[in-house]
Amino acid sequence: MKKSIIKLEDVYKTYRLGNVDVRALRGVDLEIFSGSFVSIMGASGSGKSTLLNMVGCLDSPSKGKVFLDEEDTSSFSESKLAQIRGKKIGFIFQQFNLLQNLSALENVMIPMIFQGLEESKRKERATYLLTQIGLKDRTTHLPSELSGGERQRVAIARAFANKPELVIADEPTGNLDSSSGKNVMDILTKFHTEEKGTLVVVTHDPMIAKYSEEIFNIKDGKMVKDHIQKEEVLWQS
Amino acid sequence: MAILREYFKLAFKNLKTRRLRNWLTILGIVVGVFLVITLISLSGGIRDTITKQLKSLGGDVIFVLPGSMDNMMSFFGGEELSKEDIKVIEKVKGVDIVLPTAQKTKIMRYENEQKTVFLIGLSWDDGIEILTSFQGWSLNQGEWPSPGKRELLIGSMVAKEDFFGTEIKAGDEAVINGKTFKIAGVLNSLGSKTDDTAVYLDISIYEQVTGDRDGGAQAAMVKVEEGANVEKVAERIEEALDDVRKRRRGEDVSSFSVLTSDKMGNIVGGIIGIIQASVMVFASIAILVGGLGIMNSMFTAVRERTREIGLLKAVGAKNSAVISIFLIESAIIGFVGGMGGVILGLGIAKGIELYGQVHTMFYLEAYMPIGLIIFSLFFSLLIGCLSGYFPARRASKLKPTEALRSHE
Repeated sequence: MKKSIIKLEDVYKTYRLGNVDVRALRGVDLEIFSGSFVSIMGASGSGKSTLLNMVGCLDSPSKGKVFLDEEDTSSFSESKLAQIRGKKIGFIFQQFNLLQNLSALENVMIPMIFQGLEESKRKERATYLLTQIGLKDRTTHLPSELSGGERQRVAIARAFANKPELVIADEPTGNLDSSSGKNVMDILTKFHTEEKGTLVVVTHDPMIAKYSEEIFNIKDGKMVKDHIQKEEVLWQS
Repeated sequence: MAILREYFKLAFKNLKTRRLRNWLTILGIVVGVFLVITLISLSGGIRDTITKQLKSLGGDVIFVLPGSMDNMMSFFGGEELSKEDIKVIEKVKGVDIVLPTAQKTKIMRYENEQKTVFLIGLSWDDGIEILTSFQGWSLNQGEWPSPGKRELLIGSMVAKEDFFGTEIKAGDEAVINGKTFKIAGVLNSLGSKTDDTAVYLDISIYEQVTGDRDGGAQAAMVKVEEGANVEKVAERIEEALDDVRKRRRGEDVSSFSVLTSDKMGNIVGGIIGIIQASVMVFASIAILVGGLGIMNSMFTAVRERTREIGLLKAVGAKNSAVISIFLIESAIIGFVGGMGGVILGLGIAKGIELYGQVHTMFYLEAYMPIGLIIFSLFFSLLIGCLSGYFPARRASKLKPTEALRSHE
């Protein structure tokens, strides 16, 4: 039986923006299984980012439940949630979000600090990851000394630092040229196939979505349909 | 606790990226701490110097001064101890010798140079013993003047070449008020500029020269009999003078002070204590203002680093971790400011001490107790932590979703 890594049950999320209530999610049910590679697609304003925050346990729902590894996250304290998030989930952002005053190696080591890993092990793991993504000779460089593609690769290495069960990428290629973007997607799929990790990619680029095994679409805060990528490819041909 | 070391590293890196702003913030603390250190160190030095001089007087001497300690103005009102007062003091039980001194500024001529000197009249009969054994007087050259003769004893600085242009030697002659005096002897330094620039002569001659024939004295030094209780004798002198002035002369206020060296030490200590306390209050305010500077700088940092904070939380930083990092940053600013203030403050106090010694203007040893240094460092560290607390708390309350916002 497939193990569920993230499960959203009838999730609502309402923001208050000035005097207006923005209903970003309106009853979303979503289950992502361990070891899968899924894409979440949607236009801007569709609730895509809010959904991502829920899936990544970065925010709590106004109504409904989020289960991480079959545990209800609403029962966790804020700091327990931070701890678990750091251990089980890796994040990759469109803006890379590297710490500008730290070297590539130090950036990759950050998530391991909060898991209390000792320094020698952190260094070893970070060096290994940077070597894997071809940045072995860039470890001491600051983000400002790296190209966009290189920065995103550092961010990927950081996402994998704590050997997470789930990696969430938010428009990972959005700020990259097509060859860097392809390179990044190759690395991501390689990690997925070799380490059997769960990969969730949020994108509005169908080319990127094609890498995944399953695509979820979101529109106006609701899931519109989900289907297996291969079926669609089959149907298209 | 290994994790704290990591927070320290992160905090240091953050501080390094905002170098100018942080140095300016640090400077705000430096100024406050430097004020505390310099002023406390110098006022403490003054207190030590005075206490040391009082101790050198020995405990067996009592000073009687006209004017009351309660009314400082009466010291400048030209009041005097009369001959009658002196006689009353002499009769008090336990009093061995009374040495009245009178003083006035006069112009003294040596060769063709004229200078204003402090002329002090003493009684050589009784005086030499008290002065040598309790005041630490000793001759550099020549001999003590003889009572009743026109002979001067000069302070060590008066004899020096830079005072009259030529060095004065024992046996030379000088003129005061048209009368020629023989310089009998030159004193060794007495440790204070006032004493070393004075000229001493027999009180009877002093009266002739100055025209003060009523025998008034500006002060009297009393040596008590051996074995007598100094404080008790002082009390009795006070009672006797009170009696004389109030009952016999009908004055309603008795305006004189009887001081033992202990009492003077207390008075000086009290005054310096008040000065130090007010310095502490003002300097603490200066440090608090520095603390507001830290708070301002840290709030700005929280705003600037919203994204970074969100990211840290997304990758597993608990609220406590974020608070720690920010608190460490502000604590470092406070502590470095404290260090800078201590170093600068001690440096300047030491500089003033050296300046005083080189130019023989004053003798002052800067007072630098380790407690004051530790207190200053601790206080600035505390201010750093306190002023960093609210910004740090705000930082920790930021939501990790901030990091996921694709647009700033």
